[in-house]
Amino acid sequence: MNITMSVLKLTKQSSFIKKFLLASLFFAFPFMASASDKVKVGILHSLSGTMAISETSLRDVLLFTFDEINKNGGVLGKQIEPVVVDGASNWPLFAEKAEQLLAQDKVAATFGCWTSVSRKSVLPVYEKYNGLLFYPVQYEGEEMSPNIFYTAEAVNQQAIPAVDFLLDEGYKKFYLLGTDYVYPQTTNLVLLEYLLSKGISIENIGGGLRKDSDGNVISAGKYTPFSHTDYQQIVSEIKKFAASGDACVINTVNGDSNVSLFKEIAASGLTADDCPIVSYSLSEDEFRSLPAKDLVGHLGCWTYFMSLDTPENEKFMSDFQAWLKTAEVPGLVKEGRVTCSPMVLSYNGVYLWKKAVEKAGSFDVDKVTAALKDGIIHEGPGGRVISQRNHHLTKNVYIGEILEDGQFSILKSYNNVHGEPFLKGKF
Amino acid sequence: MLRFFKGFTLLFFLTSILYAEESKVRGLLELIMTSSGNEQKESLVELSNYSDPQIKTIVEAWRKGDVYSFTNNGESIVVQQTNSGFERIKDGEILIIEDQSSLKKNRPSRRIRKSLKKIVDTADLIALDPKVRKEAVLKLGLSQNLSYLEDLRRIFKNELDPSVQKVFRESIAICLLAHGSDQEKLSAIEELGILKSVTAINFIEKIVKNASESLSDISLEPLLKDKAEVAILKIKNHQSILDFFGNLFRGFSLGSVLLIVSFGLAITFGLMGIINMAHGEFIAIGGYSCYVVQNLFASWFGTHSVGFELYFLAAIPVSFVVACLFGFLLEKSFIRFLYKRPLESLLATWGVSMIMQQSFRLVFGAANVQVNTPDWLIKSADFYGVAMSYSRIFVVGFALMVILMTWLLLSKTHLGLHIRAVMQNRKMASSLGIPVSKVNAMTFAFGCGLASLAGCALSLIGNVGPSMGQAYLVDSFMVVVIGSVGNLLGAGISSFGIGIFDQYLQPVLGPVMGKITVFFIIILFLQWKPGGLFPTKSRSLED
Repeated sequence: MNITMSVLKLTKQSSFIKKFLLASLFFAFPFMASASDKVKVGILHSLSGTMAISETSLRDVLLFTFDEINKNGGVLGKQIEPVVVDGASNWPLFAEKAEQLLAQDKVAATFGCWTSVSRKSVLPVYEKYNGLLFYPVQYEGEEMSPNIFYTAEAVNQQAIPAVDFLLDEGYKKFYLLGTDYVYPQTTNLVLLEYLLSKGISIENIGGGLRKDSDGNVISAGKYTPFSHTDYQQIVSEIKKFAASGDACVINTVNGDSNVSLFKEIAASGLTADDCPIVSYSLSEDEFRSLPAKDLVGHLGCWTYFMSLDTPENEKFMSDFQAWLKTAEVPGLVKEGRVTCSPMVLSYNGVYLWKKAVEKAGSFDVDKVTAALKDGIIHEGPGGRVISQRNHHLTKNVYIGEILEDGQFSILKSYNNVHGEPFLKGKF
Repeated sequence: MLRFFKGFTLLFFLTSILYAEESKVRGLLELIMTSSGNEQKESLVELSNYSDPQIKTIVEAWRKGDVYSFTNNGESIVVQQTNSGFERIKDGEILIIEDQSSLKKNRPSRRIRKSLKKIVDTADLIALDPKVRKEAVLKLGLSQNLSYLEDLRRIFKNELDPSVQKVFRESIAICLLAHGSDQEKLSAIEELGILKSVTAINFIEKIVKNASESLSDISLEPLLKDKAEVAILKIKNHQSILDFFGNLFRGFSLGSVLLIVSFGLAITFGLMGIINMAHGEFIAIGGYSCYVVQNLFASWFGTHSVGFELYFLAAIPVSFVVACLFGFLLEKSFIRFLYKRPLESLLATWGVSMIMQQSFRLVFGAANVQVNTPDWLIKSADFYGVAMSYSRIFVVGFALMVILMTWLLLSKTHLGLHIRAVMQNRKMASSLGIPVSKVNAMTFAFGCGLASLAGCALSLIGNVGPSMGQAYLVDSFMVVVIGSVGNLLGAGISSFGIGIFDQYLQPVLGPVMGKITVFFIIILFLQWKPGGLFPTKSRSLED
């Protein structure tokens, strides 16, 4: 019933899609009877290319979650059938794959995307087909699509609590450093406004400002290209900036460049006690490939840490490790696996969707979204999460200090932080 | 005789005091590590009365995670892992621990570390190493804490080293900016100007901004502003000189990285004419060799020994030999069929590069691997205010040594003579009885070996992963083309030139625009001199 309805809705769109869908409907009929006890759910992540290192972990945890749910009776009595597609770190391809998931596989929901640019490229597709995407990775905000649910950390659930923590610790100078793309640029602009509102003067914000012809700040902080390797100049600038002893660095550098950055910082003699660096893109999963010695004592801020000592987290970790041992997934790394915030937010996303479907009594996107908007509560590994009207989540935020074994020791937690995507001009 | 006796008792007395102090300090530290709450707080306050150098070493070890605790018959014991075994914190006694699994890592909390830091810094004021003293003095001065001012003034009187004296004067002046009388503030500003204190510039600017509040006599404000202006001008002039030399050093350092990554290519592409797209993967072989040697040393010697710290020196020859071997095989199996077809060599070596990258992924995993910089390369040296990290200095020296060795090999040895002959004219060399195919293979292997040395050097400053070489491939070709294909000296000059240019442009334009501008200048340069810096003069019609 639902399928035919959505097909009717779609047939108005274009003749090509009409033919295509009719054809697929025709082919689908013989299998319908056997498929009715299953529901298709999409996984849209890069399994190859530069982002594969991070995104493959999310695919693994999603498959684990589906298996866990299926074992306990599925969703509305139906077993979840995952449809895994590879975005291949190629942003236009993400849009194509999303279209394939929605038009051809007709998935009830999709879990996917890591980079903001991949999310931006699939967004029009989800709005066109009225699909539902769960997005799990910290991002810059300033967006709220009716067809996307952001389980991710909004800026006020990561960047701002970390700055609050540093302000409490007595730091008065902030150096902003990031990779040159949308997430760091937007986050740093929001942070600039926030810091100014907290009484930090503009000359105590390092990294430089760029203004347009009207004198409005359009970019704050220092930016380097992707896979930049030479951080000598920037580190000497940070050293000068930190000479007064009350400075810290807000680091939104992404990927490989962090290795060069932290090696240069360590070589310059700056320690975490002189000038702590809080990194927004480094979680337990990334530490597997960073020189731990150089990171010790620096800070991180996420809504989940592997070192959290709660029964939910204990169960999540041991179940995931047990699943890894028995699962048969091509290219699955079984040794030395850790859990991190984006993985837990993916896991929470699936359970929120399951509970919303059960509350709505239907897989229909509009009904599920409405149920989510009413507030679904889930006790996840990182603490309680509640879905909000604005498509974000209320969750706990933790500040941690990096240990040499690649774990965080938790220094402070902020409970039940309301996710707020639109922050520009709020302070 | 009596005097001697007196001296002797005094000496005896002193050593016994020192010994007593050390054991007291150790006892307090163990108490701090095992207790919590009020007891811990009191011990911390008591510890701050001591300035034993032992405090620093133990606290440092605690911070680094070398301290473990375990319970023995209800008593909790903390030990420090040292080269000689497990040393008990309380009395320095070496304990033999059979069941090492009962050891639990003991780490200071952030709050404890903060309070310990102050104690360590005050203790450092009388440390033996003048560098440590300088850092400690400056830290206390920068805190602008009135309670330190007395300590600084008192210890300053006993300081003999003139360079440390200077830092003392600087720190006292900075403290006075916040706490002195009006007259003291004015003379402090003057003093900081004379000392050309770069660190003080923020404090002077701050005092000028809040002049009306910080002075008790408002009429002195114009005088303060004048003095501050003079001082800031002096400091800024000094700063620009420092920046100039700092940029020069950083330029040399970036240049040496470029040089070392491109030198292998200068042989395989420059001399032999193979467009070697797999160059980056030979760099990666160097990085992975470092990783493997590091892990082997860790399992042989343990990560806390002197032997382990030397792994890097062993990794250099190992990676060279491994890459030479791979290069030799590659030449014998692929490259030797491509000498007359340079464009096909581009495609073939590109394919090889993809095969190699995928093999790295299969063997070592898709994620980057951890190569830790050895401890002896981690610090930095300070030359008149210009900070140079040891690892960077090492890379510069290493690059220069590689050039020297290559030059010696090519110009002073028999093999070098053969190489040059074959590269100039293969057929002629062959007819003169030089074993051309053998020399080709040796040359290619040598070029690959040089590339892997670059990988070793890069593991000190960057990441090691399957695609690490890709980031440097374009840079390498750029260096070789600008320095004129086939000219090793040109490659040297062009890499240092690009490095220095880049570092002087970066502060003005930022890293992204700086790099774009460098590329733009290179394009213009190649328009003007298409053959690069040292174009080869040839009578051959092909060129």
